[in-house]
Amino acid sequence: MGKPADLIQGTLDLLILKTIALEPRHGWAIAKRIQQMSRDVLQVTQGSLYPALHRLEQQGWIKAQSGRTATGRDAKFYALTAAGRKQLAKELESWDRLSGAIQLVVREAE
Amino acid sequence: MARWFDRFRLRLRSLFRGAAADASLRRELQLHLDEQIDEYVAAGMTRVEAREAALREFGPIARIEEECRDTRRVNVLSNLAQDLRYTLRSLRRQPLLVLAATVSIAVAVGANTTIFSLASGLLFATPSAKDPDRLVRIRVNGNSHVSYRQWQALAESQALGGLAGYQIEAEVNWRGPESSVTLVPLIVTANFFDVLGTPLAMGRAFTASEASAERHPDIAVISHGFWQRRLGGDPAIVGRTLMFNGRPYTVLGVLPSDYRALPGYGTAPEVYLPLTQELMPDLNVPRAATVELFGRLRDDQTMGQGRAALTWAGHNVRALLNDPKFGDVTQFSPAGGVKRMGDFREVGAFFALLLIAVCLVLAIACANVAGLLLARSTVRRREIAVRVALGASRSRLVQQLLTEGLWLALFGTLGGLLLMFGLMQLIGRISLPLPIPIEIAARIDGRLLAYSLALLALTTIFCALAPALQATRPSLVPALKQELWRFTHRRWTLRGVLVVGQVTVALVLLLTAMLFVRNLGLAASADPGFDVGRTVVAQVTFVEGRYTQETREAFLRASIERLNALPDVELATFSHSVPLTIRSGMTTGADLRLADTGESFRAQYEVNRVGPGYFSVMGIRLIRGRDFTVNDRSGSPTVVVINEEFATRHFAGLDPVGRQILLPGAEEKAYPAEIIGIVGNSRHRTIGESQKAAMYEPFLQRGNPGRLVHLIVRTRTDPASAVRDVRQTISEMDPSAAVDVQPMRSALAFAFLPSRVGAAVLGALGALGLALAMVGLYAVVSYAVSRRTAEIGIRVALGATRAAILRLVLSDAGILAGCGIGLGLVLAAMVTEPLAMFLVTGLSASDPISFAAAALLLVLVSLAATWIPARRATRIDPVVALRDE
Repeated sequence: MGKPADLIQGTLDLLILKTIALEPRHGWAIAKRIQQMSRDVLQVTQGSLYPALHRLEQQGWIKAQSGRTATGRDAKFYALTAAGRKQLAKELESWDRLSGAIQLVVREAE
Repeated sequence: MARWFDRFRLRLRSLFRGAAADASLRRELQLHLDEQIDEYVAAGMTRVEAREAALREFGPIARIEEECRDTRRVNVLSNLAQDLRYTLRSLRRQPLLVLAATVSIAVAVGANTTIFSLASGLLFATPSAKDPDRLVRIRVNGNSHVSYRQWQALAESQALGGLAGYQIEAEVNWRGPESSVTLVPLIVTANFFDVLGTPLAMGRAFTASEASAERHPDIAVISHGFWQRRLGGDPAIVGRTLMFNGRPYTVLGVLPSDYRALPGYGTAPEVYLPLTQELMPDLNVPRAATVELFGRLRDDQTMGQGRAALTWAGHNVRALLNDPKFGDVTQFSPAGGVKRMGDFREVGAFFALLLIAVCLVLAIACANVAGLLLARSTVRRREIAVRVALGASRSRLVQQLLTEGLWLALFGTLGGLLLMFGLMQLIGRISLPLPIPIEIAARIDGRLLAYSLALLALTTIFCALAPALQATRPSLVPALKQELWRFTHRRWTLRGVLVVGQVTVALVLLLTAMLFVRNLGLAASADPGFDVGRTVVAQVTFVEGRYTQETREAFLRASIERLNALPDVELATFSHSVPLTIRSGMTTGADLRLADTGESFRAQYEVNRVGPGYFSVMGIRLIRGRDFTVNDRSGSPTVVVINEEFATRHFAGLDPVGRQILLPGAEEKAYPAEIIGIVGNSRHRTIGESQKAAMYEPFLQRGNPGRLVHLIVRTRTDPASAVRDVRQTISEMDPSAAVDVQPMRSALAFAFLPSRVGAAVLGALGALGLALAMVGLYAVVSYAVSRRTAEIGIRVALGATRAAILRLVLSDAGILAGCGIGLGLVLAAMVTEPLAMFLVTGLSASDPISFAAAALLLVLVSLAATWIPARRATRIDPVVALRDE
């Protein structure tokens, strides 16, 4: 159903799906969370975050609901749908395969 | 499935709630900013610093918004609506551009849809009937016709929902208000209208029970055209009587005006008469070719089941018909759509040619519009550069420029459709020399609509895609810097390439037109082998049963005696057929045998039965032997005359005159005839035919079963002046006969019809293509001149003469036109080969005269189109031109 995505886009999708797997979050919180979890290695810019969120919503993998932020503002929270959960599992699996494969190659090369 | 639906719902929502979706997105982004600012403030920045940092980090908000909008795919739709509004507004400020583009496209689309409507109406019309999809055309044992008894047997089997037949080749005499007229009615089986189920405009149709041949029905249904044209639209026509073949027929009803008759090809038979012995004398001949069959499938039948049922029924009636081979259904095809295959091939090929030609015209017109849009996009370069800088993506800009093309194409197509209706009205008024009127109404049906939409899409893309891509080239950003290339000039601009393409296509069109015009010229001047300028032809149709063999011969002899007595008449004769008319005789293929040597050979030849003095009257050269005389009649020795071709083909080196030849007779019995003369070759069926062998038999000897005879009169003066006397003389001798008298030249109109139509239509298309291409060339050259005003000003200031400037402009245009003409000649040489099938034998599809004439014409017209802007260039005043700097 989904389009063939390049590594970067696919990875960002994976990161987003993973980030909201536990609880619904709003855009800023998602970006922040990815940054924290990666110890500031991964910086998701707004320019790629929001188009990605909208794309995932169009795909039906996440859905938006309204909620209140920690700072007390009304915001759009994104949560995984059932289809999104399946997609996350699929992407995790392919990520494991990919990163494992890269590991193998990189180790072998040394 | 559900996800697909979800997505669809989301997109719909964002389409209809675009503004709400946009606001929500903006709030979302704002929230992000606010949260970021809060964080920075918490980290110790001042509010102002935090805000600046957050904004810096955030990047161009507008672009993010645009990208998010793009992911909601419906953008294409909402953008379209927006673009439609925007471009319409901007086009409104350019009325001249819109007018030029609309006219250009309208002319081409008008030609295009007209040809399409004609093809659709003539070849693929669906007959007017209830559920026409369930009607089928049927052929049995490979024959186009079956006999009355065969039809009866098949119809009574009830294999199909209904089985009826018609006959469209017989003629009747109708006694009109002024004179008797020969008509070709549709003679139909009694159940014809029951099977067809057509509603009538007035009155009613006849039913199977009242119209069966055994009851000798004298009832008729007439066409709307016949009622209007010949009966003055008499409102009380139903119930009145009309005289056909001297019998009174009661009019039962009038068909609707938009009635599409079953035989197809746009034919509109004027009268529908039930099949009777009176109309078809061979009604009870067991295997006569009386009616063409069509049937209606039962509601529960598929095509295959219907065909099987009919084949089964056919085999079951073999014993009844005493014909062990009867009943193989060889054609079982839908009644709408492709008709009789044999005729269809050439007509279809001709329409295919015309459609290609009109599409080429359309391509030229589109290139014109593309040229206009290109010129306009040069002017708009800055606007486009600004929009690119503000973040519009290239695809978005291309989409918008295409929308502009869509408007122009839409205006053009609508104009073209209007033009088509006008043209179809005009075409409807042309009367063709055919025995059955042809009626083609322009109607907007699904087919035409689909075709117009396809044209609209093609036109949009052809007109606007190239300019749109050109205008949005990334390298155009320097336009922002006000760089205007005022002193540079490139010959091979995209516009230049377009013009070369236009000239190329125009040349191919022009060449095709030239070939057809040359074809008509050759056909008209070709020597048919007989005299067309000094004779008058009278086609006489007798009322059925008025004459016996003997009385008719007496009538003919008396007629030529009286005609010979007319002052203007040199000599009169009669014949069964007249070459190059619709009744040009029959072709016979037979095994002939020489009586003396016993040598036999297969021959195919034209046969005509002619009266005494026929060759003198027609001006056909008598090479050896003698002409027929009044003494060559039944009872005297059987004689024939052959033409030169026959003699060289079958008597090479021998003298055929005086030899006895065995000819195939009725019931397979051969009979001997003496060859008494050889005459010169002449044309028989078409003016362009390859030479045919021919045999002439004495009319008075072989008899003639038909009701039709031609009287041919050689005049001393202009044949046109003798027409009235000839008609009057014949009418006085038999007032009931339908007499149609005309000079030979106009009687041959039928033979020239295909060449005439071809030359007229393709000539018009060639002229249209030429005109459009020249408008393109003119526009490009004048535009180049206006762009180069400053350059030319400098050249003049530096001492260039007028001649030099003229050369400068002309050489540029000359290179464009020259390339186009060169390419066109090469292309034409490659593609015109198939045209040979439409041309007379003497004319090759690579006819050098046509090639030369087309090229020369194009050179001259190109020169004319370039001359005006070139003259303007020579008048440029350097002071004025450079003051603008």
